[in-house]
Formats: sequence, structure tokens, C-alpha cells
Amino acid sequence: MSDLVLKIENLTKTYKLGKRDVQPLTNLNLEVQRGEFTAIMGPSGSGKTTLLNVIGCIDKASSGKVLIDNVNIAKLPESKLYKIRRDKIGFIFQNFNLLPYLNARENVELAMELAGKFQGQRGQRAKQLLATVGLSGREQHRPQRLSQGEQQRVAIARALANDPAIILADEPTGNLDVANKQEIVKLLADLNQKQGTTIIMVTHDEQVASQTQRMLLLSDGKILQDKQAQKETSQGSKESSHE
Amino acid sequence: MGIITRATKNLSRRKTRALIVIIALSLALTLLIVLPPSINAGKATTQQIINDLTANANYLNSTVTLSATEIDCSLGTNFTISGNNATITLQDNTANITDYEGLNTIPDVTTVIPILEQISEVKDGILNGVPLDNASLLKDYPSILPANITKGRNLQAGDSGVVVVQENLANIYNVTVGSTFNILGRNFKVVGIEGQEALNSTDVTMSLADAQAITNLTGQASEFKIFVDNIDNVNTVTARITSNYSKLQVSNGLSQGNAAQQIQTSINEQLQAAQNNLNQIQGNGLVEISIAVIADVAIILFIMLYSVRERTREIGTLKALGASNATVLGQFMLEGVLLSVIAAVVAIAIGVFVAPTLANLLLPHSIESGSIPGGMSFSVGANPGGYNPISVNITPELMLLGLGAALLLGALGSLYPALKAARTRPAEAMRYE
Repeated sequence: MSDLVLKIENLTKTYKLGKRDVQPLTNLNLEVQRGEFTAIMGPSGSGKTTLLNVIGCIDKASSGKVLIDNVNIAKLPESKLYKIRRDKIGFIFQNFNLLPYLNARENVELAMELAGKFQGQRGQRAKQLLATVGLSGREQHRPQRLSQGEQQRVAIARALANDPAIILADEPTGNLDVANKQEIVKLLADLNQKQGTTIIMVTHDEQVASQTQRMLLLSDGKILQDKQAQKETSQGSKESSHE
Repeated sequence: MGIITRATKNLSRRKTRALIVIIALSLALTLLIVLPPSINAGKATTQQIINDLTANANYLNSTVTLSATEIDCSLGTNFTISGNNATITLQDNTANITDYEGLNTIPDVTTVIPILEQISEVKDGILNGVPLDNASLLKDYPSILPANITKGRNLQAGDSGVVVVQENLANIYNVTVGSTFNILGRNFKVVGIEGQEALNSTDVTMSLADAQAITNLTGQASEFKIFVDNIDNVNTVTARITSNYSKLQVSNGLSQGNAAQQIQTSINEQLQAAQNNLNQIQGNGLVEISIAVIADVAIILFIMLYSVRERTREIGTLKALGASNATVLGQFMLEGVLLSVIAAVVAIAIGVFVAPTLANLLLPHSIESGSIPGGMSFSVGANPGGYNPISVNITPELMLLGLGAALLLGALGSLYPALKAARTRPAEAMRYE
């Protein structure tokens, strides 16, 4: 069990809001194995989005270590961070964040283009990825001609494009209706099970979170509860809490 | 789908806005493309005017000098009133040429040319006899011959039995070039028709010998045209003639000289004006070019800033996906450059059509005709009486230069917005409001 894709040690994040010091993350420790599907839950302001942003290299740690594939990103400058975002991270956003002027295939290809992949390679892979998320035949559609669920599928295909170490999903079902919500969660769970994709997902939704193997409950910048759903059965009742 | 496709697709996203921006930009760029060649053309036109004026001034100088050194000495006209119905008869007095040979000996006189003019000898016409026996005399003093031949030829050295008839008189007698014209019982062949110099002038001009023969005035003249070597001696010679020959009515060309002086002054004023025009073209042109450059850069700056603001989340997404600062910078600069270059293409198309109009609208005109008091007027160049339009050609080289300038200005205008875009934090992708 030593295939750690993410290791966080004593992560603290502080920033100033006006004259007040805000500390969304306090001395947080976390380890994520490759192939895990983790949900992060917690009330608003508990620090779950900040945590996701720090892992995704779009926010910086104030102190502590964040190792992705054994590289400490906490101290990396922007000139190196963008490569981590590009090669190691796949983002899925609540609002999908597809580029409206590009069609589904082009949106997926964009991620690969940024990684410097050749055009022939890109088209083929984009097609495959869209097939994986169930959008065969809709490659040429622009986002406005896709349903919300379909848009999120395109976003998932895009997140997978560069074979990232971790998929980070920020409330991926937050803007979806019930039917779409279940399909997206099922898709993520499938990807995790069939392809071994590591997923860390922030969600408010207990039902969505229940589909994952591991559930972290954040409160006041700390992990209050770390529930490993499947391991619970295999290794007995084990609930680990990190202070 | 590279960065260029993305930039193009981005522009076509908001078509109306892109269209408006491109129109605005293309107007500014039209100025930029049209003005430099217009300035050159304007300068060339003005330079042409300056050259024309200078040539005119030189020509005027030489001809005026000749007429100003001419002294006309006439024996006067005799009035006689006769009969019950009081018919007025005018008669030019004449005298033996030999009696006036002394005129040749007056210091500073170069030539004395006898003329025989008889008012009443041809009905409704004035008979003129000018010496045609000396070719070099005619060459040096062409002013003694009819000036404005409209048909046929002028009189020339050695002519005899031929006449040049002024239009009015030719009409009265119904003669034209080749006709036979009977004057005082002798037949003359009409070799040329002279255009009207005054409204009712009715001259018929022939050789002095012929005129003397038909009027029975052999050896006589009614007038002497005297030419002086230098304009400064005209007054002295005039005074001497007046005191020595009381019968002669003397007038000289100095008044014409004064008129010429006025023309000269006027030409000089115009030369000055043309020179000022040249400087003004340069000045106005530079100001207008600067405005066009600033407008182009400002339009791109503002539209791109607006675009960056509007697309903050999109830029954040790009960065979250792993776009480097350089990629984002490049994309936005490319969009600005693309806008500017598309506008330049439109501007070139507009420029080809409106260049001359625009040039004449924006740059000072060259005035190139003038008149002086006393009814004398002159004009130069191809378009006398009006301003000289500047003609401008948009050459392929200019088009390339225009595109190059648009590219540079586009890059300049989009640099700051693109830097701003590049500095966008990837976390902007997470803003959901």
C-alpha cells in the first residue's frame, strides 16, 4: 500500500481578508492511494475547496508539504506549477467551464494541445475519450447544443485527456438535475473502477459521496472524519481521524 | 486546432462587436494607409506648382523686358469733319521715313521699325503695313506681327501680295485662308486669320511695301517702334525723342513693366504660399497619422481589456488546464493582432477607393492660379483656376506596409491586456457567481 499519489503534511493555508486573518486549512495531513475515489464533505467554509485548490496547484500552501507523485508542489514557482496542472491534474468544475466557442472534440483536444501532443494523436484520443463518457457521435457539438449532463461528460473527457495522476472534481454534480447527477457519479465511479482513475471530489451531496470508497469530513480546516467505506468491511471498523 | 484557430473562433464569437471594432479600426487604419502616400503626392504636386511658377516667372521676365523696352512713336491721327451730315473722317498722319532716320542715332536705341497704319483705307478696317524684308528683325521683335493666328499662317520674311486678316473683318468681307481680298484695287491672298485681340478690332496686316504701294504713300510711315537696349534707359530715350521730334506722340512700355512687376510679386507670393503649403502638408499629415496610430492602439487596448475582463473565468480555466502564461499571452496578443490585420485588409479596400478624396479632405490644397489688378491673369499647371487635387495610388508596397503597421499596432495595443490575461489566477475558474 505504498503507491501514494498524494501526500499532504502539516498543510496550513492562511490569508488576510481585510484586517482579519483567515485560516481555511490548519495543519492538515492526508494520504491518498493511487486508484482511490475520495469524497470531501463539509459545511461551507470548512476549507474543502481550498484544499482542492491547493492540491490542484491553483492556490498555494502557506506552510507544509504537498507531494504529488513524490514532488512537493508547495514550493514550486508558477513557471513549474502550470506543468503539474497540465500533466498531473485533471479538473472537473461545477460549471463545466467548457470553452463555448469550441466543440466537444476541440474542448477535449485543448487540454492535449496545451500538453504539446500532436494533432493526429489528439483527434484520435479525443474521440476515444468522448466515447468513454458516452458521447460518441456528438463530437462536433458546441457546448450550447449539449445538455448539462453532456457538458459535464465533455469536461470529464477533457480532465482525462492527459492521463492525470489525480482527477479533482469540485461539486461536479452541483448544477445537475437528479437523473444527470446519478449518471455523472456513476460515470466517475466506473472510471475509477475500470481504469483505476484516482478521483478527489468535493461535494455537498451525501448521496453522491456515498458512491465513493472514502469520505473525508472537513470542519474548520481540519479533517474531522476519514471514513473508508470498503476497507471498513475488509479491515474491520476503522475510522481514522486526523487532527 | 491551434492557437490561431482559437483566436479566430474567439473573434467570430461576438460577431456584431467584432464587426463594429473592425469598422472603427479600419477607419483609423485607412487614414494610416492613405496619409503617407497622400503627403508624398501633395508634396510632389506642390513642388510641381513651385516649378511651374518659377518657369513662369522666368518667361515673364524675358518677355516683359522686351515689351518694356519698346517705345511707340506715332504721328497722330487727323480728324476731318465734312459734308452736311457731318461725316467724321479719321486719317493717320504719315511722314517720310527718311525724315526720321535720326531716331537710329539716339544713344541706347537698338532698332527703329517703321509701321504704316491707315485707318480709313479699307472700309470698316485698319490697314497695317509692317516691314517683312528682314528675317532677323522679325525673329528678334516678333511683337510687330499679328499675335494670335487661328487659321493659316502668320506673315513671314519676304512675303508680298499676302495679308493676315482679323476675324471680324474676314467675316465682314467673307474671306478666309486662301481667299482673294481686293484692297484699294489690288488683289491680296489671305494667308492667315488673326484671332480677336479686342472686341471690334478689324486689322488687315501686309508688308510695309505693299501698304505703301496701295495707299500711294511710298517711303512713308505713320508710326515708329523703337527698341531700347536696357529698361533703365527707356525714360532717357523717351525724353530725347519727345524733345527732338515734336510731331511724334511718344509712349513707352514702362507701364507694362510695372504690371509685370506686379505679376512677378504675385508669383512670388504664390511661391511662398506653395512653400508654406508644403510645410503644412507635412505638419497636418503627421498630426493626422499620430491620431490614427493612437486611435488604432486605443481601440485595440480597450476592446481587448474588455474581452479579458469578460473572459476571466475562461482564462482561469485555460490556466487550470495547464496553459502557461506565455500561451495565454500569445493567444490574446494574437487576437488583438488579428483584429488589427483584418481591419487593415478592410482599410486597404476602403483606401483604394477613397484615397484621393480623403487626401484632399485632410491635407491643405495647392492653389495654383492667380490674377493681378488690371484684368491680367495667368495660370499654370494642368488645372488652372482651381485647387490642384492630390492624386494618390495605394501600391502593393503600401498595402504590405499597412499590414505590417497594423500588425505592430495590434501587438502594441493588445500587449497590456494580454499581460493582464496571462496574470489571471487559475482559481478564477472556480468562481461561480
